[in-house]
Parts: sequence; structure tokens; C-alpha cells
Amino acid sequence: MIDAFRSLFAPPRHLILLVAAIWVGLALAEKRAERHGVSKDALNNIAYYSILGYIIGGRLLYALANLSAFSQSPLSLFSLNFDLFDPASALVTALIVGFVYGKQQKLPLWQTLDALTPLFATLAIGLSLTHLAAGTAFGSPTNVAWGMDLWNATRHPTQVYELLASLLTFSLIWFQKSDSPRGVLFLNFLALTAGSRLFLEAFRGDSMLTYGGFRLAQIIAWITLAIALFASESIRQRGKVN
Amino acid sequence: MQPIKRKILYSIVLIIGFAWILVSADKSGVSTSGKIPAPQQGFLAPDFELKTLTGETIKLSDLRGQVVLVNLWATWCPPCRAEMKTIEKIYNEYKDQGLVVLAVNMTYQDDPFAIVPFVKEQGLTFPILLDETGGMAGAYQLRSLPSSYFIGRDGIINEVVIGGPMAEALLRTRIEDILE
Repeated sequence: MIDAFRSLFAPPRHLILLVAAIWVGLALAEKRAERHGVSKDALNNIAYYSILGYIIGGRLLYALANLSAFSQSPLSLFSLNFDLFDPASALVTALIVGFVYGKQQKLPLWQTLDALTPLFATLAIGLSLTHLAAGTAFGSPTNVAWGMDLWNATRHPTQVYELLASLLTFSLIWFQKSDSPRGVLFLNFLALTAGSRLFLEAFRGDSMLTYGGFRLAQIIAWITLAIALFASESIRQRGKVN
Repeated sequence: MQPIKRKILYSIVLIIGFAWILVSADKSGVSTSGKIPAPQQGFLAPDFELKTLTGETIKLSDLRGQVVLVNLWATWCPPCRAEMKTIEKIYNEYKDQGLVVLAVNMTYQDDPFAIVPFVKEQGLTFPILLDETGGMAGAYQLRSLPSSYFIGRDGIINEVVIGGPMAEALLRTRIEDILE
């Protein structure tokens, strides 16, 4: 079944999964937006502007970083190649665009993040599916009975682990009681995602390593987890004082 | 849950998380199995030996020490046709710096009589290899055309680009990165 899935969504078709995840995620977020005191229109607008910022920022900043290559062929700026893209810069641009739009429209930060959480959780599912389809984010070689044949070795099916973790996170977020203080839903999502990455990264065969063989993604996930837990507790305490 | 209990729980989670980072560190220092041949970034490029249009035989592993762009293509594939002139331009610009281009035609699923006219029409000067049995396509787990593999001097795949046509800037940035 996994082979058929990988064949059907082989790159570059795997990106369809990401687009579908955005579409489903937005629909789900829209359904519950008003529960968080955010209008459907405001939610859609902040999502669309951020996505636009992601696409344009990712390409423009990549071009700026490779100015000599683009100056020799300026039309490459409009190429449909997804590889002419800097995902980190794209993410930063999307965050800035979303933040500026939210400020301009006077959207409450924590409620907006809570309203967007189903979109984030669905995106995480979509991302794990694209990893499965493309064979990226692959596991280290293993002898476990559920190992998956990939890249000429039997490996931990890290993409499947990632998919299960993201489905579990989505379920916990979707069915969380709606009486939590503002921001806790988003912070719970952040903590669960960071926690699962911290755990699952150990089974990856493509980790970026730092000094001493430590996995960079685990360190970032641990810091994110600590921030999410600390912020969540701080919001709960403040809620009690108020 | 009581705030104090929650704080204890959070502290335990963070301590276990920290311990997990220490336990799961990769002491070998290389987490990607670079020595296993596989058609994926970070792996050794699977070796192949194929005949060219002119009858010579080229073996990928003999090109170790040079930067190699392996491009899998077919005459019936529009994006493959569209990117050939750009590849030719980049090849002429960088061949003196050690760039080798191997354009592997998927002959087993192409019209063999269409290859030579296409190569002449496009004025291609890099070697055109013929995969007549599908063996090379199998080793590279081909699923989409065109597929391009940027291979470093050590024989490790530096980048895989699936689909096309590749923009000139994409070819330039990838090749300059590897040549550095």
C-alpha cells in the first residue's frame, strides 16, 4: 500500500498533498474560528497573506542570496522550479506578513493563533505525507520487524511514525476542551509537535548533526518544548490572577 | 491538575527530553549512510556503465574527482526537451572547471530513431548515454522525467531535482555550490 501511495504521489506530485492539507486545514479552522473570537474572513485573509508571503519571500530571498546566478538569467525568478526556494526565509517572511496583517487588523494574538491551530495541525499531517511520498526525512537502518525498504536498506519508517504522531496531535487538539485559557490550544499543539520531533528524530537517518553528534533538530525541539510549556503555565497562572 | 503538579510534570518531561538527546546522539558523526549507493541526496550515486550514441562506453565511477550532472530524459517528454538547451549552455560555461554532463536517454521507453535528430537539432555536445534495458532507470528508482542528479567529486549525490524544465539559475547555483 505504501508503495502504491509513493508511486501515485511521486515528486513533484507530492506537493498536491501539501496543497490539499492547506485546503482541509483552512476549512477546519474556519469551522471553529468564531469559537475563538476571530471572524472567518480575518482567518482566511491572514492565512492567504501568509501563504503569499511564504511563496514570494522564499523565492525573492533565495534570488537575493544567489544574485549573480539570477542576474545572468533574470527570468529564472519566475521559474516554476520549486527548488529555487529558501524554506527558512519563506517561513520567516510568512510569520512577519501574518504578524503585520494581524497588527493592522487589530486581531488578538493568542485567539488568532488558537483559531489557526487546526490549520497548523493539518499541515503537519500533510507534511508527513509528503515525506512518505518523496522518501525524504527517512529513517536509519534497522532490524525491527516493521522496517521499511527504502534507499537500498531496511529502515525505520520515520515518515509513518511522523504521520501517526501528527494524527495523534491533531486528535488531541481537535477534541481538547474549549474552556482552556486563550493561547493554550496553540501552545499545546506546539508542545506536542516539538515533543514528538524530539522523540522521533532519534530514528532518523538524515539528521543534521552538531558537535558531539547531537542532532540539531532535537536541540531546537527541546527549546521549543520548554518555551511552550513555560508559556502555557504562565498563561494559566495569569488567568487565575485575573 | 494542580499548578504544582503540572510544574513537576513539565520538569520531568524536560529532563527526560534532555536525557533522550544525550542517549540518541549519533557518535559516528555521520547519520546519513553515505557509503550505501542510493538515488537520494547524501548517498553514493549508484554506479552504471552505458554506451553513448557514438559507441563509447562510460562508467560513472570512472568520473570520480569530477562534478557530474546526470540527467535522465526521453524525446517524448516536453520538459526534458525544454531544458536541454539550458543544460548545454551551462555545460559549455563550466566544463573547463570540471563539470561533466551525462544525459541518459531512457531508450527502453523511447523511440530510438528520434534520439539522433533531436540531439542534432538541439546542438548538444555532451555525451548522450543510452539506457536500452531500463537497468539504470531501475537503479535510480525512476518515477518522473526529467530527473537530475548533481554528484560531487566524492561520488556523493549533492542534490536531486525531479521534474523540469530546470531554470538556468537553478543549474548555475547547484553547480557552483558543488564546484566550490
